[in-house]
Amino acid sequence: MSETATPILEVRGLRSGYGGVTVLKGLDMDVGNEVFAVLGANGAGKTTLLATLARLIPLQGGTIRFRGNEVSGLPAFETAGRGVGYVPQEKGVFADLSVFENLCVGGMIGQRDRDERMAEVFGLFPDLAALRTQLAGTLSGGESRMLACGRALMQDPKLLLLDEPTAGLSPLYVDMFFEKVREIRATRGVSIILAEQNATKALAVADRVMVLSLGEAFLTEETGSLTTEKLKQGYRI
Amino acid sequence: MNLDWLDAFLIYGFFTIVVVSGLGLLLHLQLGLARIANFGVVGFFGIGMYSFGVLYVKVDWPFGDPWQFLVCIAAGTLAAGLSGVVVGWLVGDLNEDGVLVGTLGFATAVFILATTEKELTGGAQGMGGLQFPYDVGGVKANELLWLVITAAVVGGIVFYVWRVHRSPYGRLLVAVGSNEPLARSLGKPTFRTKLWLFAVTSAGMGLLGAMYGVMERFLRPTNLGVDITLAAMVALVLGGSARVWGAVVGVVLTVGFFDIIVQNYLPVPVEWYSQALPVMREALFGAALILVLMFRPFGILGDMRRDKLMRSLHGD
Ligand SMILES: Nc1ncnc2c1ncn2[C@@H]1O[C@H](COP(=O)(O)OP(=O)(O)O)[C@@H](O)[C@H]1O
Ligand SMILES: [Mg+2]
Repeated sequence: MSETATPILEVRGLRSGYGGVTVLKGLDMDVGNEVFAVLGANGAGKTTLLATLARLIPLQGGTIRFRGNEVSGLPAFETAGRGVGYVPQEKGVFADLSVFENLCVGGMIGQRDRDERMAEVFGLFPDLAALRTQLAGTLSGGESRMLACGRALMQDPKLLLLDEPTAGLSPLYVDMFFEKVREIRATRGVSIILAEQNATKALAVADRVMVLSLGEAFLTEETGSLTTEKLKQGYRI
Repeated sequence: MNLDWLDAFLIYGFFTIVVVSGLGLLLHLQLGLARIANFGVVGFFGIGMYSFGVLYVKVDWPFGDPWQFLVCIAAGTLAAGLSGVVVGWLVGDLNEDGVLVGTLGFATAVFILATTEKELTGGAQGMGGLQFPYDVGGVKANELLWLVITAAVVGGIVFYVWRVHRSPYGRLLVAVGSNEPLARSLGKPTFRTKLWLFAVTSAGMGLLGAMYGVMERFLRPTNLGVDITLAAMVALVLGGSARVWGAVVGVVLTVGFFDIIVQNYLPVPVEWYSQALPVMREALFGAALILVLMFRPFGILGDMRRDKLMRSLHGD
């Protein structure tokens, strides 16, 4: 992150959760122009963190600054309008719309020509092009994840939030998907926050990694300097 | 042209089909696309009917028909649209149960207001003084022309629904209905989208209510029974809530069967007309709704076929 002056995302003292339950208990993080992996065991709060950043869960405290502006109080649609693309862990597509229409609704905002953006998505995920008239509700798990990702990319996001994009997929798909993440990063230069359980795969694409443990950042490090020993400690609790 | 075969009953039968089809089509936008189950259709219908009626009969307008008529019907439509914004704002963020209770409560409130505000509405006795804004020679010819005009309005609604299905707005409605949290991260204000939907569809329901009132020429709270909402809902579910034509086909099969075939061509004892038939009608609609939900939950026109539409529009 040393190469970027101001981080694209600055999170300070973030508290959030559900109803009276606080899941994230005062989280600090800075994300620059990079792939930032969020690791942690099941229930560590990865999904809560990404949904909070997408402004779908209200804050209980702290601040979120996106590209220099405070967005903590903004509704989800305005955060998206400012360039946050969100791919949730589950239900990332509109089941009642076709593949084509899912990409259309993804592309409702954004300046560039929609067909051009869609052609790029089809270039990235050629399988989707063949399925364009199929209802998203009838897609396989892998196809559905590709569509969710394509839909978010249609927004031309500056920051892409990917929540366990490969959970439950076959190994072939998992490898393919991480390859795509690398490709998205290389061709678009978009910042990516990638929540993952699969540490090995995530470390292979990430520049930096944060390990969440019981709602707090156990550590944040450059991928290169992270030792297996430290990683294990983060997962142990 | 010999119109002897077309008696008053038949004109009313067709008129009911046309009006309920219109309501079913508007409900289709709410329920079929955005998955908002509005159980208060008749409330918006009633706001339009009574706003129009009260303005037309009770206000001293400086101009006569057709302007008086047109201004009042526009005002009735607007009033229904505004009530739609208010109700939409109140129930917009609620879950299905909240929407059900809220819209049903709204319809009940409209019914009670129509009954208790005797000064304005004539209460349970009703209110006369409505008339067609024209006279083309005789009651039958006037009613027939009103049927044609109403059919043209419903034709306009069909066209609007058809366009919405193919528009980005329609896609956004389906997206909101299909997965609201995700739709909020698309960058468009989904709450405002729902409010706009409520405004437009409620205005349409109000317009149909006003037009219904004109045909009746006499407004009574009993015009605002739950059977209107039920008929629109049965028709929509029977025809398939996700299809443009579902509502129309459903209305022809339910209201058409009952109001035309049973009432005109079956040898029903005369004394049944006031009591037994309306009850049978509601029972039949209720039974049809239950049967369809049990056996063909997507209606007799089949499952959602938006993918087919997409294939024809964008496929190769
Ligand atoms: N909708 C919810 N309501 C209440 N608690 C929740 C909800 N979703 C998740 N949690 C709780 O929040 C914690 C973090 O969950 P989550 O963010 O999904 O973790 P992860 O994505 O890392 O597996 C867990 O203890 C979980 O039980
Ligand atoms: Mg999760």
